[in-house]
Amino acid sequence: MSDTPRLRPLGQPSLVDVRTDERGEPVHVRMRGKPARQVEAIQEQWRIDDEWWRQPISREYRAVILSDGRNITLYHDLLDGLWYAQRG
Amino acid sequence: MSRLQSRLQDFQGAPTHLGRGWGLGLSTFKSLATDEATGWFTNASSFNRAAGSRQALCLWLPTFELRLELVRSPELDSTSVALLSPGETTRRTIWQVSERAHEAGVRPDQLVSQAVSLCPSLTLLEPDPAHYDSAVNSMLELLAEITPVIEPAGRGRVFLGMDGLGRLFGSPTRQAKRALYTLFRIFPAPLVAATRAGMAPGKFGAWVAAASARSGEPVTITENELVAFLAQCPVSALPVDPLIIQRLERLGIETLEALRRFPEPSLIAQFGQEGRSALAWALGQRIDPVRPWHKPKPIRVSLDFPNPVGMIPTLHGGLDRLVERALSRPERRGRSVTSVRMGARLEGGGSWFVETVLREPTSQRDRIASPLRMKMEISPPPKAVEALIVEFTQFGPQSTQTGLFDRRDENGRNVAGSDLAQGDVPHSLRDAVKELKLRLGHSPLFRVVEVDPWSRIPERRHALLSFDP
Repeated sequence: MSDTPRLRPLGQPSLVDVRTDERGEPVHVRMRGKPARQVEAIQEQWRIDDEWWRQPISREYRAVILSDGRNITLYHDLLDGLWYAQRG
Repeated sequence: MSRLQSRLQDFQGAPTHLGRGWGLGLSTFKSLATDEATGWFTNASSFNRAAGSRQALCLWLPTFELRLELVRSPELDSTSVALLSPGETTRRTIWQVSERAHEAGVRPDQLVSQAVSLCPSLTLLEPDPAHYDSAVNSMLELLAEITPVIEPAGRGRVFLGMDGLGRLFGSPTRQAKRALYTLFRIFPAPLVAATRAGMAPGKFGAWVAAASARSGEPVTITENELVAFLAQCPVSALPVDPLIIQRLERLGIETLEALRRFPEPSLIAQFGQEGRSALAWALGQRIDPVRPWHKPKPIRVSLDFPNPVGMIPTLHGGLDRLVERALSRPERRGRSVTSVRMGARLEGGGSWFVETVLREPTSQRDRIASPLRMKMEISPPPKAVEALIVEFTQFGPQSTQTGLFDRRDENGRNVAGSDLAQGDVPHSLRDAVKELKLRLGHSPLFRVVEVDPWSRIPERRHALLSFDP
């Protein structure tokens, strides 16, 4: 083991299945090993296009409330086309 | 329904109703709210009979405690009487008022000085919680002869599960009357006559029905009538946070019918989970079954003083001895304590109680006694104490682990009270990490550190840093 203190990022994104409506807004979210939940409300959304000079990031974020009352942050990765969820 | 509307408004202070208005309605449903995680929320189609009784009968005796006092002292019946709020010492307020006192302008939550100035002949009564508890227990035992599914919901109010009792007692109205008549066996006629009864699918419907009923005339609502019945009910009937009620009323949403017009996502976005619950109640979709009440058997110890004691240090000493005795009882072994109650029998009659829920389960005397001492400081017994009582009312898992953050120095001396300087690590925690490193080869503990707390990329805001003091 190295003696140097190690940093571990918190709130890493995880892959989720998302069903969207005709406008591309998420309506159902299924996280791994859990039942699908309806998206009750989208509280906030923002987009990030950054770090094009090394590992480009291009994401559309949405802070949503699920039908079980939980608040999560969803993002659509515009580079690989997949949806991810993380704690906001 | 206009009668119901005006009656619900009356709840704010009318003497014939509960003095604390619909706020007490919220406490009635506190048990519902806490049960939510266990899935009591259900609807007509998915109801599981094993989960409780769908058909609910609500029996409600407004100003129950004050009426009990008047039964005990009938000579006060024709005077202006008010019951003082329990658990207050300075700036005491009124809890419940008699009709005469109400006519003189005395209202619940008024300061005593204000009430006395409005009604100089007002008789003020100290609350006697032990007496009220005993009356409630007698009532529950008696009602258990009608149905085994009984759920008390605050003093003077009880829900009975009536599923399957039709063949035994007849129509819903007859069932409700049967329950009312049963009360004659323990309560005098005026007390039973003042009791209201409402029967409907689910507790919310039954409660609203009872609130709209006349004394002794049960209101029964069938499955088909429920939605229409609830439509004109004011939003103040909803068992949700009073702040939500205030906001709804400010927005001009006065009735459940008005609330129904809003889409569910809007209510959730505004009020969170309670917004969803409110809509489900308003639509008659949320049917709360009556669940059988589980009464935990408390561990109770008491100490009789040879002479009544008024000195707080003596009571503290008595408290310590009682907690030790309760902890050493065989039925406590293998369990920690999560909730504890201390009471006293007072000189010249009456009782006094304080209750506390511990921050974490414990079986250490000082951790149990110290919050009770604080409560005693804030709200001491109003008279000298003849007997002191301690009850462990709720229990948790066995706990023998000591806290990692205990403030002890290297010699084991307690240094509680002296704040740790920034960056200091308690000795006990340092020892624990040392032991874990010996066993695992590295420290498995981490601390959360801020990296870029305002980042728009959530995973860059915080990180775990390995903790190795």
